[in-house]
Amino acid sequence: MSTTYDVIILGGGVAGMTSAIYAARANLRVLILDENACGGLVNWTKVIENMPSYTSIGGMELVERIQEQVEALGVDIEEAACIDSIDLTGEEKIIEADDTIYKAKAVILATGRKPIPLEVAGECENVHFCAICDGAAYKGKKVLVVGGGNSGFDESIALLDQGIEELLLVEKMNRFFAAQSTQDELTSHANATILHSTEVTAVSCDEKLESVTLRNVATNETIEYPCDGIFVFMGQQPGTAIFQEQLSLDSDGYIETDELMATSLAGVFAAGDVRPKKYRQITTAMADGTVAALEAERYIRSLAG
Amino acid sequence: MSGITPIPTEHIDNFFASLSDAILFFHKELCPHCKNMEKVLDKFSAKTPSVEIFSIDGEAYPELLSKLSFERVPTLAFVRNGTVVKVKTGLMNPRELKALYSSL
Repeated sequence: MSTTYDVIILGGGVAGMTSAIYAARANLRVLILDENACGGLVNWTKVIENMPSYTSIGGMELVERIQEQVEALGVDIEEAACIDSIDLTGEEKIIEADDTIYKAKAVILATGRKPIPLEVAGECENVHFCAICDGAAYKGKKVLVVGGGNSGFDESIALLDQGIEELLLVEKMNRFFAAQSTQDELTSHANATILHSTEVTAVSCDEKLESVTLRNVATNETIEYPCDGIFVFMGQQPGTAIFQEQLSLDSDGYIETDELMATSLAGVFAAGDVRPKKYRQITTAMADGTVAALEAERYIRSLAG
Repeated sequence: MSGITPIPTEHIDNFFASLSDAILFFHKELCPHCKNMEKVLDKFSAKTPSVEIFSIDGEAYPELLSKLSFERVPTLAFVRNGTVVKVKTGLMNPRELKALYSSL
Protein backbone atom coordinates (compact mmCIF):
# COMPACT_ATOMS: atom_id res chain seq x y z
CA MET A 1 0.00 0.00 0.00
CA SER A 2 1.26 3.48 -0.86
CA THR A 3 1.75 6.02 1.90
CA THR A 4 1.17 9.15 -0.18
CA TYR A 5 -2.36 10.25 -0.94
CA ASP A 6 -4.35 13.19 -2.20
CA VAL A 7 -6.73 12.93 0.74
CA ILE A 8 -6.50 11.13 4.04
CA ILE A 9 -9.76 10.78 5.91
CA LEU A 10 -9.48 10.21 9.63
CA GLY A 11 -12.53 8.27 10.72
CA GLY A 12 -14.54 5.73 8.75
CA GLY A 13 -18.02 6.56 9.93
CA VAL A 14 -20.75 7.67 7.58
CA ALA A 15 -19.28 11.17 7.17
CA GLY A 16 -15.83 9.78 6.44
CA MET A 17 -17.03 7.11 4.03
CA THR A 18 -19.26 9.58 2.17
CA SER A 19 -16.24 11.87 1.79
CA ALA A 20 -14.28 8.91 0.46
CA ILE A 21 -16.92 8.15 -2.16
CA TYR A 22 -16.94 11.71 -3.45
CA ALA A 23 -13.16 12.07 -3.36
CA ALA A 24 -12.56 8.75 -5.10
CA ARG A 25 -15.07 9.59 -7.80
CA ALA A 26 -13.14 12.83 -8.34
CA ASN A 27 -10.12 10.63 -9.18
CA LEU A 28 -8.31 11.50 -5.99
CA ARG A 29 -6.18 8.91 -4.20
CA VAL A 30 -7.87 8.34 -0.87
CA LEU A 31 -7.04 6.61 2.41
CA ILE A 32 -9.38 6.11 5.35
CA LEU A 33 -7.70 5.60 8.72
CA ASP A 34 -9.87 4.47 11.62
CA GLU A 35 -8.83 3.40 15.11
CA ASN A 36 -11.72 0.93 15.13
CA ALA A 37 -13.86 -0.70 12.48
CA CYS A 38 -15.51 1.52 9.87
CA GLY A 39 -19.00 2.67 10.69
CA GLY A 40 -18.57 4.55 13.93
CA LEU A 41 -21.71 5.05 15.96
CA VAL A 42 -23.92 3.58 13.23
CA ASN A 43 -22.54 0.19 14.27
CA TRP A 44 -24.23 0.77 17.61
CA THR A 45 -27.61 1.47 16.05
CA LYS A 46 -29.85 -1.56 15.95
CA VAL A 47 -32.38 -0.31 13.40
CA ILE A 48 -32.25 2.75 11.10
CA GLU A 49 -35.53 3.97 9.66
CA ASN A 50 -34.90 7.63 8.84
CA MET A 51 -32.48 7.28 5.97
CA PRO A 52 -33.84 7.46 2.42
CA SER A 53 -33.31 4.19 0.48
CA TYR A 54 -34.25 1.69 3.17
CA THR A 55 -37.54 1.47 5.04
CA SER A 56 -35.60 -0.25 7.80
CA ILE A 57 -32.04 -1.52 7.98
CA GLY A 58 -29.67 -2.60 10.73
CA GLY A 59 -26.79 -0.26 11.50
CA MET A 60 -24.07 -2.82 10.86
CA GLU A 61 -25.69 -3.88 7.60
CA LEU A 62 -25.87 -0.28 6.39
CA VAL A 63 -22.19 0.21 7.24
CA GLU A 64 -21.30 -2.96 5.36
CA ARG A 65 -23.07 -1.74 2.24
CA ILE A 66 -21.47 1.70 2.34
CA GLN A 67 -18.06 0.15 2.93
CA GLU A 68 -18.50 -2.17 -0.05
CA GLN A 69 -19.20 0.90 -2.19
CA VAL A 70 -16.12 2.68 -0.83
CA GLU A 71 -13.85 -0.30 -1.45
CA ALA A 72 -15.21 -0.78 -4.96
CA LEU A 73 -14.03 2.74 -5.74
CA GLY A 74 -10.45 1.84 -4.85
CA VAL A 75 -10.21 3.63 -1.53
CA ASP A 76 -7.56 2.21 0.79
CA ILE A 77 -8.90 1.49 4.28
CA GLU A 78 -6.81 0.90 7.38
CA GLU A 79 -8.94 -0.16 10.32
CA ALA A 80 -7.73 -0.77 13.90
CA ALA A 81 -5.04 1.82 13.21
CA CYS A 82 -2.98 3.10 16.13
CA ILE A 83 -2.43 6.78 15.37
CA ASP A 84 0.74 8.13 16.95
CA SER A 85 1.01 11.69 15.69
CA ILE A 86 -0.58 14.17 13.33
CA ASP A 87 0.92 17.29 11.78
CA LEU A 88 -1.72 19.27 9.92
CA THR A 89 0.05 22.63 9.90
CA GLY A 90 2.19 22.38 6.78
CA GLU A 91 1.16 22.25 3.13
CA GLU A 92 1.90 18.54 3.30
CA LYS A 93 -0.20 16.84 5.97
CA ILE A 94 1.62 14.09 7.86
CA ILE A 95 0.04 11.31 9.91
CA GLU A 96 2.00 8.58 11.66
CA ALA A 97 0.02 5.43 12.33
CA ASP A 98 1.12 1.86 12.97
CA ASP A 99 4.76 2.96 12.59
CA THR A 100 4.04 4.15 9.05
CA ILE A 101 4.19 7.77 7.90
CA TYR A 102 1.32 8.77 5.66
CA LYS A 103 1.31 12.02 3.68
CA ALA A 104 -1.50 13.87 1.93
CA LYS A 105 -2.36 17.17 0.33
CA ALA A 106 -5.59 17.43 2.26
CA VAL A 107 -7.12 15.84 5.33
CA ILE A 108 -10.74 15.38 6.29
CA LEU A 109 -11.32 14.89 10.01
CA ALA A 110 -14.37 12.73 10.62
CA THR A 111 -13.51 11.15 13.95
CA GLY A 112 -16.98 11.51 15.41
CA ARG A 113 -17.74 11.24 19.09
CA LYS A 114 -17.38 8.81 21.94
CA PRO A 115 -19.66 8.00 24.91
CA ILE A 116 -19.56 10.38 27.86
CA PRO A 117 -18.47 8.41 30.94
CA LEU A 118 -20.25 8.44 34.28
CA GLU A 119 -17.55 10.25 36.24
CA VAL A 120 -18.77 9.23 39.70
CA ALA A 121 -18.44 5.55 38.78
CA GLY A 122 -14.66 5.54 38.79
CA GLU A 123 -13.23 2.17 37.75
CA CYS A 124 -16.26 0.09 38.71
CA GLU A 125 -16.32 -3.13 36.67
CA ASN A 126 -20.10 -3.13 36.52
CA VAL A 127 -20.42 0.04 34.45
CA HIS A 128 -21.19 -0.58 30.78
CA PHE A 129 -21.92 1.23 27.54
CA CYS A 130 -23.42 -1.56 25.42
CA ALA A 131 -26.46 -3.68 26.24
CA ILE A 132 -25.81 -6.26 23.55
CA CYS A 133 -22.20 -6.78 24.66
CA ASP A 134 -22.72 -6.96 28.39
CA GLY A 135 -26.44 -7.32 29.11
CA ALA A 136 -26.53 -11.11 29.40
CA ALA A 137 -24.42 -10.93 32.55
CA TYR A 138 -27.36 -9.27 34.30
CA LYS A 139 -30.11 -11.76 33.49
CA GLY A 140 -32.36 -11.98 36.55
CA LYS A 141 -30.67 -8.96 38.15
CA LYS A 142 -31.31 -5.25 38.71
CA VAL A 143 -29.75 -2.59 36.52
CA LEU A 144 -29.73 1.18 36.33
CA VAL A 145 -29.75 2.89 32.93
CA VAL A 146 -28.50 6.48 32.81
CA GLY A 147 -29.74 8.66 29.96
CA GLY A 148 -33.19 9.48 28.64
CA GLY A 149 -32.43 9.84 24.94
CA ASN A 150 -33.05 7.31 22.18
CA SER A 151 -29.97 5.27 23.14
CA GLY A 152 -31.03 4.99 26.76
CA PHE A 153 -34.51 3.78 25.86
CA ASP A 154 -33.42 1.49 23.00
CA GLU A 155 -30.72 -0.16 25.07
CA SER A 156 -33.13 -0.54 28.00
CA ILE A 157 -35.48 -2.49 25.78
CA ALA A 158 -32.54 -4.63 24.65
CA LEU A 159 -31.64 -5.28 28.29
CA LEU A 160 -35.16 -6.33 29.16
CA ASP A 161 -35.16 -8.66 26.15
CA GLN A 162 -32.16 -10.38 27.75
CA GLY A 163 -34.06 -11.14 30.94
CA ILE A 164 -33.23 -8.24 33.26
CA GLU A 165 -35.41 -8.62 36.35
CA GLU A 166 -35.76 -4.93 37.22
CA LEU A 167 -34.66 -1.84 35.32
CA LEU A 168 -34.63 1.78 36.37
CA LEU A 169 -33.88 4.48 33.79
CA VAL A 170 -32.94 7.96 35.03
CA GLU A 171 -32.54 11.24 33.14
CA LYS A 172 -31.12 14.38 34.70
CA MET A 173 -33.19 16.82 32.64
CA ASN A 174 -36.85 17.44 33.39
CA ARG A 175 -38.07 15.37 30.45
CA PHE A 176 -37.03 12.46 28.26
CA PHE A 177 -35.66 12.99 24.76
CA ALA A 178 -36.32 9.63 23.15
CA ALA A 179 -38.96 9.18 20.45
CA GLN A 180 -42.38 8.85 22.08
CA SER A 181 -42.95 5.44 20.46
CA THR A 182 -39.76 4.15 22.10
CA GLN A 183 -40.76 5.61 25.44
CA ASP A 184 -44.14 3.92 25.14
CA GLU A 185 -42.51 0.59 24.34
CA LEU A 186 -40.27 0.71 27.40
CA THR A 187 -43.00 1.80 29.78
CA SER A 188 -45.17 -1.07 28.60
CA HIS A 189 -42.77 -3.38 30.44
CA ALA A 190 -44.02 -3.90 34.00
CA ASN A 191 -40.48 -4.28 35.37
CA ALA A 192 -39.20 -0.97 33.93
CA THR A 193 -39.38 2.35 35.77
CA ILE A 194 -38.35 5.73 34.36
CA LEU A 195 -37.50 8.85 36.33
CA HIS A 196 -36.60 12.26 34.94
CA SER A 197 -35.04 15.11 36.99
CA THR A 198 -32.81 12.47 38.56
CA GLU A 199 -29.04 12.21 38.58
CA VAL A 200 -26.47 9.76 39.91
CA THR A 201 -24.38 11.41 42.60
CA ALA A 202 -22.44 8.45 43.97
CA VAL A 203 -21.67 4.83 43.20
CA SER A 204 -20.92 2.30 45.88
CA CYS A 205 -18.61 -0.24 44.32
CA ASP A 206 -15.99 -2.35 46.02
CA GLU A 207 -15.28 -5.67 44.33
CA LYS A 208 -18.64 -5.33 42.65
CA LEU A 209 -21.39 -2.77 42.41
CA GLU A 210 -23.65 -2.56 45.43
CA SER A 211 -25.79 0.56 44.99
CA VAL A 212 -26.03 4.04 43.54
CA THR A 213 -27.16 7.26 45.13
CA LEU A 214 -29.80 9.10 43.12
CA ARG A 215 -30.71 12.76 43.64
CA ASN A 216 -33.88 14.44 42.51
CA VAL A 217 -32.53 17.68 41.05
CA ALA A 218 -35.83 19.49 41.68
CA THR A 219 -36.36 18.53 45.33
CA ASN A 220 -32.78 17.62 46.29
CA GLU A 221 -34.12 14.42 47.82
CA THR A 222 -31.72 11.47 47.63
CA ILE A 223 -32.34 7.75 47.61
CA GLU A 224 -30.10 4.69 47.67
CA TYR A 225 -30.82 2.27 44.82
CA PRO A 226 -29.31 -1.20 45.17
CA CYS A 227 -28.42 -2.62 41.76
CA ASP A 228 -26.03 -5.02 40.05
CA GLY A 229 -25.06 -3.07 36.95
CA ILE A 230 -25.10 0.41 35.39
CA PHE A 231 -25.52 1.08 31.69
CA VAL A 232 -24.55 4.62 30.68
CA PHE A 233 -26.00 6.43 27.66
CA MET A 234 -25.46 10.09 28.46
CA GLY A 235 -24.58 11.18 24.98
CA GLN A 236 -21.28 11.67 23.27
CA GLN A 237 -18.25 13.95 23.27
CA PRO A 238 -15.75 14.59 20.45
CA GLY A 239 -12.43 12.80 20.44
CA THR A 240 -10.39 15.82 19.41
CA ALA A 241 -7.60 15.93 22.00
CA ILE A 242 -5.03 14.97 19.39
CA PHE A 243 -5.95 18.02 17.28
CA GLN A 244 -6.30 20.65 19.98
CA GLU A 245 -2.82 22.14 19.62
CA GLN A 246 -3.27 22.65 15.89
CA LEU A 247 -6.90 23.44 15.21
CA SER A 248 -9.47 25.89 16.45
CA LEU A 249 -11.94 24.04 18.69
CA ASP A 250 -15.03 25.39 20.40
CA SER A 251 -15.47 25.38 24.18
CA ASP A 252 -16.92 21.84 24.07
CA GLY A 253 -14.00 20.50 22.05
CA TYR A 254 -15.70 20.34 18.65
CA ILE A 255 -13.72 21.36 15.56
CA GLU A 256 -14.87 24.75 14.32
CA THR A 257 -15.64 24.92 10.61
CA ASP A 258 -17.32 27.26 8.20
CA GLU A 259 -20.33 26.13 6.18
CA LEU A 260 -17.96 24.56 3.63
CA MET A 261 -16.38 22.34 6.31
CA ALA A 262 -13.11 24.30 6.23
CA THR A 263 -11.25 24.40 9.54
CA SER A 264 -8.77 26.98 10.77
CA LEU A 265 -6.00 25.28 8.75
CA ALA A 266 -5.71 25.33 4.95
CA GLY A 267 -6.30 21.90 3.46
CA VAL A 268 -7.91 20.53 6.61
CA PHE A 269 -11.64 19.91 6.62
CA ALA A 270 -13.96 18.41 9.22
CA ALA A 271 -17.21 16.52 8.74
CA GLY A 272 -19.88 14.83 10.79
CA ASP A 273 -20.31 14.63 14.54
CA VAL A 274 -16.88 16.07 15.29
CA ARG A 275 -18.23 19.52 14.24
CA PRO A 276 -20.49 21.69 16.38
CA LYS A 277 -23.98 21.12 15.00
CA LYS A 278 -27.54 20.88 16.16
CA TYR A 279 -28.69 17.74 14.34
CA ARG A 280 -26.43 14.69 14.38
CA GLN A 281 -28.03 12.26 11.99
CA ILE A 282 -26.75 9.87 9.33
CA THR A 283 -28.18 12.18 6.68
CA THR A 284 -26.46 15.27 8.08
CA ALA A 285 -23.20 13.35 8.35
CA MET A 286 -23.53 12.45 4.69
CA ALA A 287 -24.14 16.09 3.82
CA ASP A 288 -21.03 17.18 5.72
CA GLY A 289 -18.96 14.44 4.11
CA THR A 290 -20.12 15.47 0.67
CA VAL A 291 -19.24 19.12 1.17
CA ALA A 292 -15.89 18.34 2.79
CA ALA A 293 -14.83 16.09 -0.09
CA LEU A 294 -15.89 18.56 -2.77
CA GLU A 295 -14.01 21.34 -0.98
CA ALA A 296 -10.96 19.13 -0.51
CA GLU A 297 -10.99 18.40 -4.23
CA ARG A 298 -11.27 22.10 -4.99
CA TYR A 299 -8.37 22.85 -2.62
CA ILE A 300 -6.15 20.16 -4.15
CA ARG A 301 -6.88 21.37 -7.69
CA SER A 302 -5.95 24.91 -6.59
CA LEU A 303 -2.55 23.63 -5.40
CA ALA A 304 -1.89 22.31 -8.88
CA GLY A 305 -2.34 25.86 -10.14
CA MET B 1 -18.15 -12.29 12.24
CA SER B 2 -16.78 -12.87 8.77
CA GLY B 3 -13.02 -12.42 8.82
CA ILE B 4 -12.06 -15.12 11.31
CA THR B 5 -12.71 -18.84 10.95
CA PRO B 6 -15.48 -20.20 13.18
CA ILE B 7 -14.02 -22.82 15.48
CA PRO B 8 -14.51 -26.39 14.18
CA THR B 9 -16.69 -28.58 16.36
CA GLU B 10 -13.89 -31.03 17.14
CA HIS B 11 -11.96 -28.32 18.99
CA ILE B 12 -14.98 -27.55 21.14
CA ASP B 13 -15.71 -31.20 21.78
CA ASN B 14 -12.25 -31.82 23.24
CA PHE B 15 -12.23 -28.41 24.92
CA PHE B 16 -9.35 -27.00 22.89
CA ALA B 17 -6.93 -29.81 23.83
CA SER B 18 -5.78 -30.15 20.23
CA LEU B 19 -4.72 -26.50 19.92
CA SER B 20 -1.09 -25.61 20.52
CA ASP B 21 -1.03 -21.82 20.04
CA ALA B 22 -4.42 -20.22 19.47
CA ILE B 23 -6.64 -17.29 20.32
CA LEU B 24 -10.36 -17.93 20.67
CA PHE B 25 -12.51 -14.90 19.97
CA PHE B 26 -15.85 -15.00 21.76
CA HIS B 27 -18.31 -12.55 20.23
CA LYS B 28 -21.97 -11.83 19.58
CA GLU B 29 -23.41 -11.08 16.19
CA LEU B 30 -24.62 -7.53 16.84
CA CYS B 31 -21.94 -6.46 19.31
CA PRO B 32 -20.18 -3.31 18.05
CA HIS B 33 -17.15 -3.80 20.30
CA CYS B 34 -16.80 -7.29 18.81
CA LYS B 35 -16.77 -5.82 15.32
CA ASN B 36 -13.90 -3.56 16.36
CA MET B 37 -12.08 -6.43 18.04
CA GLU B 38 -12.37 -8.50 14.89
CA LYS B 39 -10.40 -5.83 13.01
CA VAL B 40 -7.76 -5.84 15.73
CA LEU B 41 -7.46 -9.61 15.44
CA ASP B 42 -7.22 -9.38 11.65
CA LYS B 43 -4.29 -7.00 12.05
CA PHE B 44 -2.67 -9.17 14.72
CA SER B 45 -3.10 -12.26 12.57
CA ALA B 46 -1.46 -10.61 9.55
CA LYS B 47 1.65 -9.92 11.63
CA THR B 48 1.58 -13.18 13.63
CA PRO B 49 0.41 -15.85 11.20
CA SER B 50 1.66 -18.72 13.35
CA VAL B 51 -1.13 -18.14 15.86
CA GLU B 52 -4.41 -19.84 15.03
CA ILE B 53 -7.40 -17.57 15.56
CA PHE B 54 -10.93 -18.89 15.80
CA SER B 55 -14.24 -17.19 16.45
CA ILE B 56 -16.92 -18.56 18.76
CA ASP B 57 -20.44 -17.16 18.83
CA GLY B 58 -21.08 -16.63 22.54
CA GLU B 59 -24.81 -16.92 22.03
CA ALA B 60 -24.43 -20.33 20.38
CA TYR B 61 -22.10 -21.71 23.07
CA PRO B 62 -23.10 -20.13 26.40
CA GLU B 63 -21.82 -23.20 28.25
CA LEU B 64 -18.27 -22.39 27.11
CA LEU B 65 -18.54 -18.87 28.50
CA SER B 66 -19.71 -20.31 31.77
CA LYS B 67 -16.93 -22.91 31.81
CA LEU B 68 -14.33 -20.18 31.30
CA SER B 69 -16.00 -17.92 33.91
CA PHE B 70 -17.02 -14.91 31.87
CA GLU B 71 -20.28 -13.54 30.53
CA ARG B 72 -19.28 -10.49 28.50
CA VAL B 73 -17.99 -10.06 24.97
CA PRO B 74 -15.66 -9.46 23.27
CA THR B 75 -13.52 -11.92 25.18
CA LEU B 76 -10.32 -13.61 24.07
CA ALA B 77 -9.16 -16.96 25.42
CA PHE B 78 -5.50 -17.67 24.80
CA VAL B 79 -4.65 -21.35 24.41
CA ARG B 80 -1.17 -22.82 24.70
CA ASN B 81 -0.55 -26.55 24.28
CA GLY B 82 -4.16 -27.44 24.88
CA THR B 83 -4.63 -25.30 27.95
CA VAL B 84 -6.47 -22.00 28.32
CA VAL B 85 -3.76 -19.84 29.88
CA LYS B 86 -5.51 -16.47 29.86
CA VAL B 87 -9.00 -15.04 29.41
CA LYS B 88 -9.27 -11.33 28.66
CA THR B 89 -12.53 -9.41 28.24
CA GLY B 90 -12.86 -6.03 26.55
CA LEU B 91 -11.59 -4.12 23.55
CA MET B 92 -7.84 -3.79 22.96
CA ASN B 93 -5.89 -2.08 20.21
CA PRO B 94 -3.38 -4.11 18.18
CA ARG B 95 -0.44 -2.99 20.29
CA GLU B 96 -2.17 -3.93 23.53
CA LEU B 97 -3.06 -7.34 22.08
CA LYS B 98 0.49 -7.92 20.92
CA ALA B 99 1.87 -6.96 24.33
CA LEU B 100 -0.59 -9.24 26.12
CA TYR B 101 0.18 -12.15 23.80
CA SER B 102 3.92 -11.63 24.25
CA SER B 103 3.57 -11.61 28.03
CA LEU B 104 2.03 -15.09 28.18
